[in-house]
Amino acid sequence: MSNGLDFEFLIDTFFVALTGVPVAILITVVSLAIALPLGFILALTRINKMLVLNQFSRVYVSFVRGTPVIVQIFIIYNSVPLLLASIFEKYNIQMDVYDVNPIWYALIVFSLNTTATLIEVFRSAINTVSKGQLEAAHSVGLTTVQAFRRIIVPQTLVVALPNICNATVNLIKATSLGYAMSLPEITLKAQVAANASYNYIEAYLDIFIIYLIICSLVEYLFKRLEKRLRKYQIAPTA
Amino acid sequence: MLEIKNIHKSFGDNIVLNGIDLKIEKGDVVVVLGPSGSGKTTLLRCINFLEKADQGQAIFGDTQVDLKKASKKQIYSIRKRTAFVFQNYNLFNNKTALENVTEGLIIGRKMTKEEANKIGKDALDKVGLFEKYDAYPGELSGGQQQRVGIARAVSLNPDIILFDEPTSALDPELVGEVLEVMKTIAKEGTTMLVVTHEMSFAKDVANRVIFMDGGVIVEEGPPNEFFQHPKEERTQRFLKRVLPEDYIYNI
Repeated sequence: MSNGLDFEFLIDTFFVALTGVPVAILITVVSLAIALPLGFILALTRINKMLVLNQFSRVYVSFVRGTPVIVQIFIIYNSVPLLLASIFEKYNIQMDVYDVNPIWYALIVFSLNTTATLIEVFRSAINTVSKGQLEAAHSVGLTTVQAFRRIIVPQTLVVALPNICNATVNLIKATSLGYAMSLPEITLKAQVAANASYNYIEAYLDIFIIYLIICSLVEYLFKRLEKRLRKYQIAPTA
Repeated sequence: MLEIKNIHKSFGDNIVLNGIDLKIEKGDVVVVLGPSGSGKTTLLRCINFLEKADQGQAIFGDTQVDLKKASKKQIYSIRKRTAFVFQNYNLFNNKTALENVTEGLIIGRKMTKEEANKIGKDALDKVGLFEKYDAYPGELSGGQQQRVGIARAVSLNPDIILFDEPTSALDPELVGEVLEVMKTIAKEGTTMLVVTHEMSFAKDVANRVIFMDGGVIVEEGPPNEFFQHPKEERTQRFLKRVLPEDYIYNI
């Protein structure tokens, strides 16, 4: 120790940590694919004050927002196997619950978590699109579904995009907590590599850089997308 | 052509429409006047099912619809025969002027894009926006936006166009261009039901004026008679307030 940085280890571990990137990306993409539509629909139930679903969404959001992700991980990772075990036992299914790939638990936690964030994101964004446009769409003969798909959602997305970007970046960073359930993602891979030689500083530097690169890239892509979707919002003349 | 019978509508304890009957013939231009809160806008919105009436019937040519219990299918069929021009234009902000007009034709009426574009361009030409096909609502002035709104209604070729205070949100200097367009399409024989505060439009263009107050029709008649010899005391009071010229001469 304390002979300065071990550059060879730094570079080797960088590539070891990189092998964790696909898992992190997979979890991010799948969680978003679940959370985007679900969050939008639940946001609508809140705006339209739909019975039961509205209350459910509100309680759900406050539960998820009011607890640390790491605690949610511990709860899901420890309670779901117990639950599964009792179900398997009851129905005589021959399967070891502890063989379940931790990626499934990660998907549950991060989908639930991102959904809660996006409910609030969409709730505020939908409110910015005037109700009059929905009425106008109805008056020219569009159904509610058509009006949402063609008029409301495109405008909602533009407003929501900066916050969706934020949620995505937070999600990517949060996948690092997956190490708590032995998920073979970036942080765990680097940490395992460092365990042998105690080169923790180098390992942490590596994952620091990797997250920074991924998140910067994601932010750049969102900026491009926003610019494209925003083309109708030119400075008003009136 | 369109007959409305006994419309009632309340919001909570507030009775907004208290039994309105209305008959409109093809080619009629009917102007609805009245103080704010008299139920003019709600009447229009109930006809187009933007608001659900508590009670009432609409007879459209040979189809009769219960305004309270109308099925989705009936609502769509009525909306196909009517068009609405909104006070705040309500253009689709993510669509160009031409797309605003063609949206209902392509999606609602299942026209091909070519057909719809032709009709849409004709409609925009008619309201004097032949250079603004590809402009987004954000790039247009209020008057231009409302003219797109009118083109959107005209292009649907409806039996009747419902105008809900089409000039109330406009700067005074932009009111003229919109009224001019409305006059033009009225002259072409378009059936119109217009809620407005523009007395000059009512005088010059309408063939019938209706005065509403407190959710009922107080008085109706041809514009000449209505403005010069109002029968009801409430109408006289209203006209005195909105037609200040008489006052100026009386001082």
